[in-house]
Amino acid sequence: MIRKIFFSAALCATLGVLSVNAQTPQATPPPPAPPRSVTFPKPVEETLPNGLRVIVVERRESPLVSAQLIIKNGGEVDPPELAGLADMTANLLTKGTQTRDATQIAQQIESLGASLDSGARWDSSFANLSVMSSKVAPAMEIFADVVRRPTFKSEEVERLRQQSLDAVTLAMGDPGAIARLVAARVVFGDSPYGHPISGTTESLTRITAADIAKMHLRYYRPDNAILIIGGDIGAKDGFALATKYFGDWQKPTAPLPGQTMLPAGPSARTGRVIVIDKPDAGQAAVVLARTGINRKDPDYFRGIVANSVLNGYSGRLNQEIRIKRGLSYGAGSSLDARRDVGPFLASAQTKNESGAQVADLLLGEIGRLSSAPPADVELTPRKAVLTGGFSRNLETVSGLVGQVGALALHGLSLDEINHYINDVQEISAADVQKFASKTLDAKTSNIIIVGNAKAFLPELQKKYPNVEVIPVSELDLNSASLKKKETAG
Amino acid sequence: MVRFSIRLLLGACLLLATQLAPAQIRMPQLKFADRTLKNGLRVLSVEDHSSPTVAIQVWYHVGSKDDPDHRSGFAHLFEHIMFKSTKHMKSEMMDRLTEDVGGFNNAFTNDDVTVYYEVVPSNYLETLIWAEADRLSGLNVDDANFKSERDVVKEEYRQSVDAPPYGRFFYLLQAKSFVDHPYKRPTIGSIADLDSASLQDVQEFHSTYYRPDNATLVVVGDFDPKQLDGWVDKYFGPIAKPSLPLPRVKVKEPPRKGESRLTEYGHNDLPAVGLTYLTTKRSDPDADALRVANAILSAGESSRLYNALVYTQQIAAEIESDDNALEDSGLFIVGAILSEGKKVEDAEKSLLAEIKKLQDAPVSAAELEKAKNQLITDQLRERETGNGKALALGESAVLLGDPARVNTDLARLQAVTAADIQRVMKKYFTDSNRLVLYYLPEATKKGGQ
Repeated sequence: MIRKIFFSAALCATLGVLSVNAQTPQATPPPPAPPRSVTFPKPVEETLPNGLRVIVVERRESPLVSAQLIIKNGGEVDPPELAGLADMTANLLTKGTQTRDATQIAQQIESLGASLDSGARWDSSFANLSVMSSKVAPAMEIFADVVRRPTFKSEEVERLRQQSLDAVTLAMGDPGAIARLVAARVVFGDSPYGHPISGTTESLTRITAADIAKMHLRYYRPDNAILIIGGDIGAKDGFALATKYFGDWQKPTAPLPGQTMLPAGPSARTGRVIVIDKPDAGQAAVVLARTGINRKDPDYFRGIVANSVLNGYSGRLNQEIRIKRGLSYGAGSSLDARRDVGPFLASAQTKNESGAQVADLLLGEIGRLSSAPPADVELTPRKAVLTGGFSRNLETVSGLVGQVGALALHGLSLDEINHYINDVQEISAADVQKFASKTLDAKTSNIIIVGNAKAFLPELQKKYPNVEVIPVSELDLNSASLKKKETAG
Repeated sequence: MVRFSIRLLLGACLLLATQLAPAQIRMPQLKFADRTLKNGLRVLSVEDHSSPTVAIQVWYHVGSKDDPDHRSGFAHLFEHIMFKSTKHMKSEMMDRLTEDVGGFNNAFTNDDVTVYYEVVPSNYLETLIWAEADRLSGLNVDDANFKSERDVVKEEYRQSVDAPPYGRFFYLLQAKSFVDHPYKRPTIGSIADLDSASLQDVQEFHSTYYRPDNATLVVVGDFDPKQLDGWVDKYFGPIAKPSLPLPRVKVKEPPRKGESRLTEYGHNDLPAVGLTYLTTKRSDPDADALRVANAILSAGESSRLYNALVYTQQIAAEIESDDNALEDSGLFIVGAILSEGKKVEDAEKSLLAEIKKLQDAPVSAAELEKAKNQLITDQLRERETGNGKALALGESAVLLGDPARVNTDLARLQAVTAADIQRVMKKYFTDSNRLVLYYLPEATKKGGQ
């Protein structure tokens, strides 16, 4: 059990000099010594003739190499009736190529002690490789094979379909998972970020092997991809590996698919209060959900600092909900900046009886952020949380590759790694308030509660007479209506 | 429940891993200093200047197996209380000294140990040594703070046991697996026992277990060894060692005398089945072979259980195995969450068939090497950070009784043979040493609604 759940021969045995003084302990903490400076590795890049952008970032502390191949499209390009297509396509990469079946891929990768996984997110699909540096070449050969030459055999499609259907069933037993899926539909309606990225029972049943092959052909091409190699490897060796295994990946003649979003913006209706009644829920999951910003928004750093005031162990949400009131094991928020405007979510799980109270607290804290600037004694530590977390994330090879990949995906300067701390420091208390008033309005935020409604609905209705209640058995995530259509008879 | 699986450490003097022969990967050794103060506090440290941070951990050799009678969950509740006020610190001051300066802190409790840890910019090391010494010296918690934190822990119970569809399944697998040993009480405890806990229990628990001779301080990162020694002497040195002996759990779990079978119902939509076997204490050499066996059963998609139950037979949505090497007695768990429309009886048969295969024939050299490579790479990843290195060192010192195990365990792992695996599979995975738990959807209960 951990306290917090937020979001890594011969020895010289020295006998120390033992202390014998029995003084009383010092009553105040000793002050810190002067800080030491930090430098981060500098990524270098090249674009291969086929259009593949290759980035190498060297970090030699551990004998490990991570590689990430990013395709610049993901769940947002799922056709509306085929939710989960991008994720299924990415998941099937490792399930068979022209020369290896699924079992052989797993055997060969795992024999090297390596791990290889793939999937789709919003705005991108990915394959990740992690391997000891002494075994990077054989692992990279398999890595390239699965990205470039997957076969999508029907037996593998069927197997994954059943696994995905089971995963949907498992998710629908978890109040927190249901709340996040409903939140996406409420915020984004029928627009591309609204559907469940891993699909629904209905959409997963519709997806065919032909749909999957078409998705792969259209989006998995060198000029729509980025390869990041990081860790215990030099630039020269990294580029040589990239050229050897990806250099002859042919660029198709068809034009590159655009990255503009499909029609229909975020849902027009806001300020909704929605209850998904799940009578057997062991806790209520409470989520405040609304639109946030896109990744290239000039407000990005204002946004992440504002979010840090709310989020984290000593952030306002956890202060109010956990530390002061003992209502939850943890409350927090996230500002997910995507290619297009992404969601802002604030959430906590609590006993069913406290569902309405926690909803009030979430709304209250979002509102408070707009009403006054945070004091500097509050803001300075919240900025330290951001910069400290950023630096720690770069201490692992996979963290480093992930950060570089996220910048590259959004076409941002890779140099931002070395500017991040400064950019955070420059944000003022007034910036935070301005951002909150402009972007995080409480009145247009939505509340979703998934739990045993009997325990909290009367209290909730007193405050929000327009609350919409949907029994979990009638919940339909296939469209923005959220409710299964009335069947005749 | 936190499970430790790391056995190897990347050292301060980092070398490239070089391959000597198949399955003979040379790992960099960890150069650590080891000293014990007069009051019994053990101090382990590794100097590593690769990042300007330092990881500080205090390991207390007390876990949920030491929960007082009728106070299941107490060691873990106590861990939360350690972040409330002490003689010189207000509630949550630890967060001010860590989170507010760009570091972090956390703690975990398992059956055998309670561990507090911080990572901070290295210029804050002295501050944190002071703070850890202060909360070892004594707590000063009021009733309001105690009750509020107890409510947090009750929410943690609901979030880990009640809300997830299989939370209670895993809870029951451990609870039903022991008859006498206090391992029968899962670390999170029960709501009723948490409600019975009082401030007086807190004071008694602190004076019984939170003493320098029951603690190990581990420091890894960017520091000067002389300065560290001086600070440790200054702040921890004056803390007295109590004269009372440390109580230790002496209960021995009796061997099982026959298979037991249980069926429980929950709010899960897909049935689950779990098998448990009592094995051996974690310091026993058999634990190494069981660890490799566990990797062969469930590490990755080429593992035996995944390949058989998920991939080939498509009987399971998820498989699980865990060698769960506890200090006093291991509990090997093998289980599956079923795929839609499949029967628990069939999944149980498939699990048993995979166990039998490991008993009937030795694993191939290639499969053995694969499992070892997987375990070694996992270790490399876990020890990339100072905090990961400190965890490995603390685990070796406190749970294995020898910090040098952090460097010698790779050799132990490499020495495991196919015959060893076959031997431990035959020795522990017997019919009479088996517990079978079916966890079925409430709706399928006969005569139910």
